Amino acid sequence: MSEIKKIKNLKEFSTSADRFEGANLLCPGCAHSIIVREVLNATNDDLVIGASTGCLEVCTAVYPYTSWDASWIHIGFENGSTAVAGAEAMYKALKSKGRLPQPDRTPKFVTFAGDGATYDIGFQWISGCFERGHDMMYVCLDNEVYANTGGQRSSSTPVGSSTTTAPAGRVSYGEKKEKKDMIAIMAAHGSPYVAQVAPNKWKDMVKKIQHGFQVEGPVFINAISPCTTEWKFAPEDTMMITDLSTDSLVFPLYEIIDGHELNITYRPKNVIPVVDYLGAQGRFKHLFKPENKHILDGWQTRVDRNWELLQRREEARV
Amino acid sequence: MAENRGWDEFDAGAILFTFNEKVDNIATTLAEDRPYSSSSSFTASVGDWRIEKPIFNKDYCIDCQFCWIYCPDVSIIARDKKMIGIDFDHCKGCGICVEVCPTNPKSLLMFGEHLDDDECLASWPEKDEKEV
Amino acid sequence: MAEKIDLLETEVWDGNMAASQAMRQAQIDVVAAYPITPSTPVVENYGNFLANGYIDGEFVMVESEHAAMSGCIGASAAGGRVATATSSQGFALMVETLYQASGMRLPIVLNVVNRALAAPLNVNGDHSDMYLGRDSGWIQLNAYNAQDAYDLNLIAFKVAENHKVRLPVMIHQDGFMTSHTAEGVKTLQDEEAYAFVGDFKPMNAMLDFEKPATYGVQTEEDWHFEHKARQHNDLMTKVYPVMEEVFAEFEKKTGRKFDLVTNHRLDDAEVAIVAMGTTVDTAMMVADQLREKGIKAGVMGMRVIRPFPFAKIAEVLSNVKAVCCMDRSSPGGAPGMLYNEISGALYNSAKRPVVTGYVYGLGGRDMTVEYLKGIFADGLENAKAGKPTTPLQQFIGVRGPKLNFL
Repeated sequence: MSEIKKIKNLKEFSTSADRFEGANLLCPGCAHSIIVREVLNATNDDLVIGASTGCLEVCTAVYPYTSWDASWIHIGFENGSTAVAGAEAMYKALKSKGRLPQPDRTPKFVTFAGDGATYDIGFQWISGCFERGHDMMYVCLDNEVYANTGGQRSSSTPVGSSTTTAPAGRVSYGEKKEKKDMIAIMAAHGSPYVAQVAPNKWKDMVKKIQHGFQVEGPVFINAISPCTTEWKFAPEDTMMITDLSTDSLVFPLYEIIDGHELNITYRPKNVIPVVDYLGAQGRFKHLFKPENKHILDGWQTRVDRNWELLQRREEARV
Repeated sequence: MAENRGWDEFDAGAILFTFNEKVDNIATTLAEDRPYSSSSSFTASVGDWRIEKPIFNKDYCIDCQFCWIYCPDVSIIARDKKMIGIDFDHCKGCGICVEVCPTNPKSLLMFGEHLDDDECLASWPEKDEKEV
Repeated sequence: MAEKIDLLETEVWDGNMAASQAMRQAQIDVVAAYPITPSTPVVENYGNFLANGYIDGEFVMVESEHAAMSGCIGASAAGGRVATATSSQGFALMVETLYQASGMRLPIVLNVVNRALAAPLNVNGDHSDMYLGRDSGWIQLNAYNAQDAYDLNLIAFKVAENHKVRLPVMIHQDGFMTSHTAEGVKTLQDEEAYAFVGDFKPMNAMLDFEKPATYGVQTEEDWHFEHKARQHNDLMTKVYPVMEEVFAEFEKKTGRKFDLVTNHRLDDAEVAIVAMGTTVDTAMMVADQLREKGIKAGVMGMRVIRPFPFAKIAEVLSNVKAVCCMDRSSPGGAPGMLYNEISGALYNSAKRPVVTGYVYGLGGRDMTVEYLKGIFADGLENAKAGKPTTPLQQFIGVRGPKLNFL
């Protein structure tokens, strides 16, 4: 068992030596790299990192540059999970055969992927990895859209969001379907640890990532990653939007241990109306037309219902 | 800056190595002590992406490290728990550091990329009394 | 430590068992696999070895062939010996990752038990899947029988993992005809086999935490061409010298000789059949029968499909007057691959033999002795006439009106 890195406060955290580099090609203000930095800096253990095709991947390993200070692999859009699972299997094999280059290390195996790779095209591969129980962490950088290819819908895209493949138009308010509940699905795999995180709540993030690294088995982390380009807000507002997302309870922060023990890990002191969150982003702009009022109302109802459900699950411990 | 090379001049499989030599424990080795290869984007610059640049005024800084944690581009240089400056090779000028800076007046502000740093510091605003 | 199995000097194995025994003997570190007919027994046999303590490595039963190769890529990049097996639709599902494996220069060994591609669905042996993989940048070795499947597996690891090569290798065997037909297979004892394959020597291992490597980068118009050119160069120039060395070492150890192409009585032949898989063995037998009647027949077996042994083919067929190329895959609106490629190898040769093509055996339809005799007879006519006397593409063994093209 590896030693948990001591991170009492932000000052102590800031002594970390980043293993993710700048001069990557992510958009200014992209939350992906904030999340990646918080995840990687949560541990001093060695890392084997995988990435599915997506913004993070295409912006951090464009030949002849890599932004990674740890071993890193990308195969395709759908299989970042399995690439890392393969590496983890090799680690186990070489460990038991006594052939590891540095036998005393306690490496962590991490996959980063967007919601397109996670909720959609890579779903089967992730399910396979979790069913087989590889000792790895899968971090979904959830920006609710295919941002890398210019803003097409994914099954994580929420109702009313305007995307290029489900745009708002004269007779459409944009996305019609509710966001897939990936967290519940992954918890149902019997994963030892599943959690939703947001980069603004760094302490909650670090605690969850460290917990995830300590447990054995596949861990799923869904990280909200506001996208300046596709959500249509100014780059400097990334953290403000993230605050709105967590404080409106659109993105509640919670964890599920062993598939059943649900804990809410952040309770906003002042819960903000959902419209404040929606109104700050261009992708929901059309919802504020009078004819779309029912969509806005539906949003608040849905968020309230989900929050109620989470609290009841937390109480019930089932 | 890595140069364009011919087909016979690189590692097979388009594999990139971050460092020129072995690093015993990367996680505890600070950037200045790492032997980055020309393949690491650490050695590259995106400074020319900026239209505005953040200027750091250490007179007001309380070393809260919000700018460090929320910088997407590893461009806030913190050493020994102190904010010591900005890495302008890697800063894209997003302005998050300014937004999350809690001091009054802010210890980081955005200025036009072309402006002189000293002039920027000289024009620093006073404390905003309304905000207290 | 895995237990050894005492093997008889000659075991009665089908091609699948031959391949799985060789995989066991190579002491693979990670096998990530998904079963599909007719390669399923490779995966089952391997699982059985594991369940009985004959294997030390990790055996990851994934949820699809795409995941199988994805897992193999991750494992191989991590730095150890990796292999798997598949067929047909599974191979087709894997195709995306095949290009990834070779592009990252990962020495993975893949047993492809050849089978037709749907639609219509068919579980039997033809070479459609093999043809689908031919531009994927892998080395492709061809087994004609179970013995070859065993031998070529041991050879494949040694070629693939050589640091001058570092390319993945497929070993093709015919579905059912080889994979499920029990034959006598001469064996090496476990220690001997492993000593031949040798220890895995890591290169650019992701598990070397002091020298992190980035695998699977993006290269756009400013770099992609150079990387593909490098890979092609290495296939064209680095593989044969190593392969010939390994063949020689294998011959020294076992007495069994492999060449880039199989030259069966070609030196003075007037007519030659070029074939792959089980058809090679049958065609050799037919050639021998014809020789008894004074007909100068020979056979060229494609032992190595990729890299395509262009010069070697021109050399061994240099004195032949007529060549009949046997394609066991529906060419989909073109001449067959063998017809095209053999023609290409011979077009600039001094004597430029007459080349004709045959499409046969789709979906496991038998290639019989009688058909082969007819094809040799066609070839003889072409040799005599010094030009094609038949259409360039004939379908052999299909019901209905005679089907010819070109």
